[in-house]
Amino acid sequence: MRFGDLLYETWHALSANKGRSLLTILGIVIGIAAVIAMTSLIGGIQNMLIGELGLAQARQVSISVNAMEPVDFDDVEHLAKGMPDYEILTGSGMTSVETTLADGTKSYAQIVAVKPDFFAANGSKVAEGRFFTAGEEAAAARLALVDQSSVKELFGNADVEAVGKTLHLGNDDFTIVGVIESSSLMSYGVTVYLPYTTAETRVGGMYGVSQIIGFAREGTDMDRLTETTKSYVASYFNVSPEDGVYVYALDSMIKQMESMMASFSLLMGAVASISLFVGGIGIMNMMLTNVTERIREIGLRKSLGARRRDITKQFLLESIMLCVAGGVFGILFGFLAAWGLGGVIGMVQAGMTVTPVLAPGVVALAVGVCVLIGVVFGYYPARRAAKLDPVESLRYQ
Amino acid sequence: MPAATVVEAVDLHRIYESASGFTHALRGVSLTVAQGEFLAIMGPSGSGKSTLMNLLGCLDTPTRGRYLLEGVDVAAYREDELAEIRATRLGFVFQSFNLLPRATVLRNVVLPLIYTACPRKEREQRARAALRSVSIDERLFDHRSNELSGGQMQRVAIARALVNNPALILADEPTGNLDTATGDMVLDTFKRLRDQGKTIVLITHEPEVAAHADRVIHIRDGRRYDDAPYAGVPTVGDPRASAPAAGVLAANGPGVSTLHAPVPGDSRAKGGARP
Repeated sequence: MRFGDLLYETWHALSANKGRSLLTILGIVIGIAAVIAMTSLIGGIQNMLIGELGLAQARQVSISVNAMEPVDFDDVEHLAKGMPDYEILTGSGMTSVETTLADGTKSYAQIVAVKPDFFAANGSKVAEGRFFTAGEEAAAARLALVDQSSVKELFGNADVEAVGKTLHLGNDDFTIVGVIESSSLMSYGVTVYLPYTTAETRVGGMYGVSQIIGFAREGTDMDRLTETTKSYVASYFNVSPEDGVYVYALDSMIKQMESMMASFSLLMGAVASISLFVGGIGIMNMMLTNVTERIREIGLRKSLGARRRDITKQFLLESIMLCVAGGVFGILFGFLAAWGLGGVIGMVQAGMTVTPVLAPGVVALAVGVCVLIGVVFGYYPARRAAKLDPVESLRYQ
Repeated sequence: MPAATVVEAVDLHRIYESASGFTHALRGVSLTVAQGEFLAIMGPSGSGKSTLMNLLGCLDTPTRGRYLLEGVDVAAYREDELAEIRATRLGFVFQSFNLLPRATVLRNVVLPLIYTACPRKEREQRARAALRSVSIDERLFDHRSNELSGGQMQRVAIARALVNNPALILADEPTGNLDTATGDMVLDTFKRLRDQGKTIVLITHEPEVAAHADRVIHIRDGRRYDDAPYAGVPTVGDPRASAPAAGVLAANGPGVSTLHAPVPGDSRAKGGARP
């Protein structure tokens, strides 16, 4: 019996029972849809995070020190000399100052006091305007950069041309020279970037460099760099490497997130496999009913010369086709569900766009699993059909 | 003209084993069917004629006895070998037509060929030719078989039995579900096929149906008791009323003795050896 004939017979048998076939594959559809929805959503979230943080961010390391004295930029320069694996080593100071928002309320603006190389180390991009220069920094120029979400807070509208506008911070006025693209992940309140010297002299309230930021050279082993940085910084400041220094690589955060996603996927997989198992039993149940209902047809086919293996193949292919059809519907529904959930995430977290990713490997795996279910749960009914006695089945009423 | 022998069955026995014991359905039936012959096997229900048809149709194997189909002893064939014989050498016509209701007329007739090595291109041609030979209108070829009348369905079934060019066509009560006029049309179809050289064995319990055959053999209680050219339905006052009786007497002479004394060595015990 040729494969084309098998397909033809299978298609006819299944389309004769559309309603029942659809109900039967529901378990498979749900199981596969759950897996596909989760994997494509997770893939989309990962893509978004990588896009959001930038691949370069994987080379970023942040260091905080519990030193006796405030850390200053001389310390940063010394550290940079001792750790040549860093392309950039810089730092930022933190303070806050009162400002007036667009709606007239007073609010504290978060001040990040930086040197110009901070922007490169941090992977910041200017949406409008420019960064300040080293000269302006040294001269304590009254220049400021704000991020995009701050523009909305300060001027009431994110589309306002902020560059050139004056920003009141405390008792002083600053000119905005640039707007930094803000990460949609964590953005609330007003964040203002000031030249370090400017912040130190005109705003105050800083306790030196609160965070050292490093940007590793390309190809550096980030895990090793984290370790060497920890011990070097600890010995420089003469603090304990265990609790005196905190070194954090974004790379490890990404890895951590990936492993979290993986365990979540595993959980979803477990839930889905239960659904698939129940679905498989449903398939077997329908196939057994199918065989009983078609005993006369089986008898006829045998009388026309069908061998046992022809009958086995026919019923096995029916169950495989059912399962694969369930898989295909599951993939479609799952992907649609992922789009829906991605949209919900976008609504809850404004500005966050998750585009679900349907990996070809996952699709192939889903179809493969469906074929397997079809074989496992279709084999027994198919064999039962094949073993029917032709005389008795022709007589069967 | 000595026609080739299609069927040569010698001392066929079939014993069914069930929970309630053994049933000796066939107790030594021998028969031959020549090529181009239209033979009727007649008997009341429970006579063993269906068992005989199952054996002749290779749907079942005898417990004992020899069955040569076109000179090949198939009595000891295994299930898949029998399937092969059915696919290539046999055609079946059933009382209830047994067409696939949702498939088209053409597909129903093509169906046996999917179990043979017949090239795909040739199948449809052969199916169309078979349908034309049983006078099915071309316009019906693409109709679903459940849209046809009973007579049309049975003729489609005959076309299906013909399509693999079998050595033997077995028809089990082919007119049982049809009215007399339609039944006669179906029987005429068989006769026309006989005239074209087909070999047909028809199983029936109705003398009027058996009357269409060239020769009738009678089965009762698993035995043959008659093999005679059918002389018509005897009616009171009909001068032919005594003819069947003469036939029975003639057959009971040498025929019965061979039944009770099978050729030594020809009978083989098969019980328990069924695959």
